[in-house]
Amino acid sequence: MKLPRIVRGRPSKSLLRVSVILTLLGLVLMAWSILAPTPMPVMLAMTVGQGFGTLAFGLFVFVVLRDLRQSGAAERVAREADAAEQAEPEAAEDGA
Amino acid sequence: MATWISSNPFGAGALASAAIAAILGVWYLVRKPESTRTTKIALLFGIGVLPLATAATGNVSGYEAMKSRNFCGSCHVMTPYSDDSSNPESKSLASRHARNEMFGHDNCYACHADYGMFGTIVTKLGGLRHVYEYTFNYRNMSLEEARKSIHIRKPFQNATCMHCHSTELPLWRAVPEHASLTSEIASGRVSCASAGCHGPSHPFSKDPVVPVVDPGGTAPTDPSGKVAP
Ligand code: HEC
Ligand code: HEC
Ligand code: HEC
Repeated sequence: MKLPRIVRGRPSKSLLRVSVILTLLGLVLMAWSILAPTPMPVMLAMTVGQGFGTLAFGLFVFVVLRDLRQSGAAERVAREADAAEQAEPEAAEDGA
Repeated sequence: MATWISSNPFGAGALASAAIAAILGVWYLVRKPESTRTTKIALLFGIGVLPLATAATGNVSGYEAMKSRNFCGSCHVMTPYSDDSSNPESKSLASRHARNEMFGHDNCYACHADYGMFGTIVTKLGGLRHVYEYTFNYRNMSLEEARKSIHIRKPFQNATCMHCHSTELPLWRAVPEHASLTSEIASGRVSCASAGCHGPSHPFSKDPVVPVVDPGGTAPTDPSGKVAP
């Protein structure tokens, strides 16, 4: 996945924090536009607010997919180790 | 409160889902749970499903709000128009369309629905242009100047009037001016809102595109004073 470097290396937890904060900011803008439906808030909600929301959700999906891929990879490693263990019990000792 | 909810169910729905999403978000920030499957499912709602619901219902509620005359009148360059429409004494065509229950509150929208602030994604961008114009070119403009420089961009379509006034009814056809101009009206060569007919619609309307130096502020004219069927 081609993503900015700041996103790629970060642990899931801190990415999710950023995502949650963006969501909250977006929600505040959207709620404001409903309570005070005048041009400024309505326009902000429909542009910046929804932009934040989209960004936040994109980040969330990225984290979930990355975690899935990593746990998939981890499982594969474990399975291969298992297989190796069955074929050659003593060789798997340090691999597992 | 209860009346607000029933008058704006989409807004209420948007606020409710926003509130639940915000609770989930704050919970995540305060509790800092591990990124387990359960946490992610909670966040799927807090970051995904509920904010999406807020955005969707908020859009509906926003578009509803944008239809109202109050909304149009919240930019000072539009206030002469909205004040005129809200004035129960006014005899302008626009104002006479502001008194019925069906769309009186949204009368600007009823006649200017094709105008850039409504409808789909494309018009959302058009609305942005409008806000941009306001913010950078009109914000500090005096009303006098604004009146001179604001003019209708596209010639007003008779089809807009004909959404509501079919022009098919006998009383309409019996009006001599209508009868002699039927094809010109249908083809748009003569505007229903032209001066001497039912226009100008606003006391200070000008011709399309050509900005008039002195709008004059003349009294609205509807010489016929006839009731359209
Ligand atoms: C953000 C402030 C603002 C709001 C809100 C606003 N207007 Fe305007 N309007 C302007 C400005 C500035 C212009 C002149 C610039 C231009 O022509 O785009 C204008 C021009 C117009 C024009 C003439 C130009 C054209 O597009 O034909 C119409 C008609 C109009 N407005 C209708 C409305 C209606 C109807 C509403 C409510 C739904 C509304 N406006 C709300 C600022 C606003
Ligand atoms: C959204 C529907 C709608 C649109 C669009 C509309 N009208 Fe009307 N019009 C009405 C209704 C409803 C009334 C009666 C209002 C009332 O009784 O309060 C009316 C009344 C009138 C009257 C009679 C006013 C009076 O003093 O008795 C005229 C003339 C008229 N319209 C012309 C027009 C023209 C010209 C246009 C286009 C520029 C137009 N209308 C657009 C619905 C509409
Ligand atoms: C009966 C239909 C009708 C209603 C209601 C109406 N307009 Fe108009 N409006 C017109 C027509 C027609 C024109 C084109 C000029 C003309 O022929 O009078 C126009 C022109 C305009 C213009 C262009 C400037 C000008 O003077 O030509 C603006 C701005 C505008 N309207 C804003 C509004 C706002 C804001 C409202 C609500 C308060 C509103 N209109 C309600 C029919 C309407």
